[in-house]
Amino acid sequence: MVGKIKDKVAVIGTGVTKFGEIWEKDAEDLLVEAVYEAVKEANVDLKKDVEAVWVGTQYHFTGMSGAIFSDPLKFFGKPVTRVENFCASGMDAVRNAAYAVAAGMYDIVIACGVEKILDYGGRGLPLTGMELHPVFGMPSPPAMFALCANRAFKVWGWTKEDLARVAVKNHYNGARHPKAHFRREITVEAALKAPIIAYPLGLYDCCAMSDGAAAVILTRPEIAKQYVGDNYATIKAIGMAVETLEPWYRPYESFLSFPANVKAAEAAYKEAGVTDPLKDLDFGIVHDCFTITELINYQDMKLCKPGEAASLIREGVTSINGEFPINPDGGLKCFGHPIGATGVRMTVELTRQVLGRAEGLQVKNAEIGFAHNLGGAYTVATVTIIGRP
Amino acid sequence: MVNVLAYGAYIPVWRLSRDEISKASGVPSAGGEKAVASWDEDSLSMAVEAGIDCLTGINPKEVDGLFFASTSSPFREKNASSIIASALDLRKDVTTADFTNTTKAGTAALKAAVDAVKAGSAKKVLVVAGECMVATSSSDLEQLYGDAAAALLVGEDEGIAKISDFFSVVEPIPGPWKRSMDVFPQRFESKLDLRYGFIKSTVEAMQGLLKKHGLPIKDFSKLTFNAPDPRGYFEIAGRMGADPKQLQDPMFKNVGLTGAVHSLFLLVAALEKAQPEEKILCAGYGDGCDAFYVETTNKIEDLKRSRRAISIYLKSKRILPTYEEYLDFKRLREKAQPERPRASVVTYWRDEKMLLPLYGRKCGKCGAITYPIERCCFICGEKDNYEEVKIARKGKVYTFTFDYLYGPGFAYGESAALNPSIRIVADMEDGCRLFLELSDCKPDPKEVYIDMPIELTFRFMCERSNFRFYSWRGRPVRE
Repeated sequence: MVGKIKDKVAVIGTGVTKFGEIWEKDAEDLLVEAVYEAVKEANVDLKKDVEAVWVGTQYHFTGMSGAIFSDPLKFFGKPVTRVENFCASGMDAVRNAAYAVAAGMYDIVIACGVEKILDYGGRGLPLTGMELHPVFGMPSPPAMFALCANRAFKVWGWTKEDLARVAVKNHYNGARHPKAHFRREITVEAALKAPIIAYPLGLYDCCAMSDGAAAVILTRPEIAKQYVGDNYATIKAIGMAVETLEPWYRPYESFLSFPANVKAAEAAYKEAGVTDPLKDLDFGIVHDCFTITELINYQDMKLCKPGEAASLIREGVTSINGEFPINPDGGLKCFGHPIGATGVRMTVELTRQVLGRAEGLQVKNAEIGFAHNLGGAYTVATVTIIGRP
Repeated sequence: MVNVLAYGAYIPVWRLSRDEISKASGVPSAGGEKAVASWDEDSLSMAVEAGIDCLTGINPKEVDGLFFASTSSPFREKNASSIIASALDLRKDVTTADFTNTTKAGTAALKAAVDAVKAGSAKKVLVVAGECMVATSSSDLEQLYGDAAAALLVGEDEGIAKISDFFSVVEPIPGPWKRSMDVFPQRFESKLDLRYGFIKSTVEAMQGLLKKHGLPIKDFSKLTFNAPDPRGYFEIAGRMGADPKQLQDPMFKNVGLTGAVHSLFLLVAALEKAQPEEKILCAGYGDGCDAFYVETTNKIEDLKRSRRAISIYLKSKRILPTYEEYLDFKRLREKAQPERPRASVVTYWRDEKMLLPLYGRKCGKCGAITYPIERCCFICGEKDNYEEVKIARKGKVYTFTFDYLYGPGFAYGESAALNPSIRIVADMEDGCRLFLELSDCKPDPKEVYIDMPIELTFRFMCERSNFRFYSWRGRPVRE
C-alpha cells in the first residue's frame, strides 16, 4: 500500500446529538441537529462549501440510500453515499470521506451517521423485515459476545466481577457527560444482580438501544486554517479489516480475540508510527457494546498481553485518572448504540478530547488518541487515530 | 422370504408423571409416566431419529425405499417421507410414501415394504413410524398418549428375523377419529370401539393368521399389538387362549399409547430381548387389523448392543417438572408468541444437502472440514476444490451461551425470553465447527459447560413464512 493518510485530513467541525430514547424526533431531525452543530463549529456554509457526504446507517427503517441525508438537509445536486458496515457503519463513513479528501477529490466533506432504533419497538436489535435464512440465523448480539465471555472465564479465570468493573468505570464517566443516554453511576453489586440477557452477560454488561446522530466535517489541513484557525485535529491513521460474519463456523476461532481488531489496530499503529500504544498514545475509545468486548479490545489493541485485560480494569489503569483512560465519555455503555451514529460519535469525542474541549470528562494532556469501532459478529473493525496537527 | 434386517427406536428424553397431569387436570391419575416429545420434535423428526438408530452401521445408499407411518404427520400435503429420506441420506432414486390416518398405518407401511421386496421392486425398504399425538387438556386420552418412534429395515438378505405373510381384516369402526379440521381426537362411545373394533379385529386378524399358517398360539414367545385404549389389552390374551405372560409389556406405564408406532415399537422391544428361533406375533389395529409374525434367526444376537432402541432410550430420561411446561411443549397454552422474521423457503431448498443429511466440505488443498458448504475454503481460500462430506455426529462444546433475547429458531421480541435458546459452538469429532442450538437440557451452567460431550439430533427448527423447517440441533449424549 503506497497511500498515506497521516496529517492529510483535518477534522474542523464536530456535532453530536443527545443520545437516548428520543421519541419526539425522527432520524431526519437528529441528522439536521448533528450536522448543523458541526457546520457551526467549522464555520462552513453547508450548501456552498460542502461538496460530498457519506452517511452511515444500518436499518432500512432509519432511511435508505443517500436521500437519508439529502432530503432532511435539502442538500441536493451533490454526491451522497450511504454506508452500511454493521455497527462499524459510522466509522466506515468517516473513513470513506477521509480518503476522498486525502485523494484530493474534494476540499470539504461531511461524514455522519444516524440511527433511530427506538422507532422500531421491542427489545434488542430488530430482525423483522429481513429475509433471513431459516437455519443459519444470527444469535442475538449479546449472545455473540457471551460466547467469548464463557471462553475467557474458562481460559483466563475472568469473572463476572471483572465485567462489572468495566460497567462501573464507564458509568462513572458517562454520568458526567451531558449527551450520554445513561447518566447514573452504578455499583459492582448492582451489575451482578441484574437479570441475565445472554449468560453470563447481564443487563449492565450490555449497551442500550438508543437513538442519536453525529457528524464531522473534514478538509485538508491547509484549508482548515481558513475556517477554524488552529482549532482542528488531524487524522494520523485509519486501519480497517473485515473478517467473517460466521466466526462460529471457522475452525480454530478462539473467541478470545477478534482477528479484525488485531489487523485494524496493526494497520493503524503502523501508519501512525505507534509501537507501544500505552506510551505513544494518551487515551482510547473502544467499542464497548458489551463489557467483555471492552476487555478483549484492550488486548487486541495491544494495551496488554492476552489474558491481562482483567488486571487493567481491576487496577484502574483505564479509569479516567488512570495511566491510560479508556472511554472517558462513558462509551456505548452510557451512550447506547444507534448503529450508524456510533463510529461518528467516537470520532467526534476523539477530536474534542485532543482539542481539549470534551463535553464530559476531559483526559488530562490528551494530544493523541485512538477510537475503535466494531461491527457484526466481530466481523468489521476500524481503528482511527487522531491528534493535534 | 423377506427378513427384518435391523430395528431401531426412539423415545424422547422427557417424561411427564401422570400424577402431575392429574394434579393439574383433576382427572384421576392412571399412574406411571408418559414420554413427551420436546417442543422441537414431531412425528417426522422422531421418525428420523428411529431411522438413524436402525441404520447404525448400514450404508443408507443401499436402501431402496422409505415408508413413513403416523396419524400425526406435520403435513396435510407434503410427503414427510421425502424429508426423512433426505435427512437419513438415502439415494434420490428411492420410493417413498406416507401411510397416515389410522393407527394401523405402521403395519400397513410394513406390509407394503414386505410386498415391495417380495415383488422385487426394492431390495431394502426402511419403515419408520413416528407419533406425536395431542389430546385435549383434561381428557382421559391426555394421560394415555405418549410420543415415540420405531423403525424396521426389511429386505431379501439374511436378517435377524423372517417375516411371515400378513393376514388383514377391515372394519369401519367409528372411533377414534379426527376430521380434516380436527386437532384433537373425537370419540362417541369408546366401549363400542373397544369391543367391536379393537378386540374383535385384533383377535380375528391374529386367529386368521394362525389358521393360515397352522400354528398354535403357544408357539409364540410374545404377542405384540397396539391398542386404542389400555382397557381390553389383557382381554386379548384370554380371547386368544394365550398365557398373559406371552403378552409383550405394552409400555402404557412408562411410554404411553403411541398410535401408529405402537405395534412396531412393541415388536422392536420384543426383538431386543429375543433369542434365536423365537416366533413373535404382531398385530396393528386401526379400522381393522394387520397380523403377521416374525421368526428370529441366529443373527439376532449380532444386532443387540449396536442399537439404542427401546432399552437405552427408555433409561435415558428426564422428568418434566411441571404440567405447564408440557402445555408449552404441546402448544396447548395461550402464550405471547415471539415475532419471527420471515425466512426464505428458496434458500432452504437450495441448501438441502447441508441442512437435511448435514454435509460439509473437505478442502482438497488444506484438508479442513468446514460447514456450511461454500465454494472457497474457510481456512485456505482454495476455490472450487473440495469434496462433500457428511459431518461427524458427535463432538463437544467449545463455548456456549443462553440467549434470552433471540429465542430458539431465531424468534425474538418481548416474549422470546420465556424460551431462551441454548447456543453452542461445537468441535465435532472430524474437526468441523458447528454452531447449534442445544435441545433436551436447561439453560443452566451446571448442565451446559465447555468440553461437554454432545451429539446431533434431527429437529423441527422453526415455522416461518408458513413453512416448517427441519435441521439439526445438539443434545447431551444419550447412552
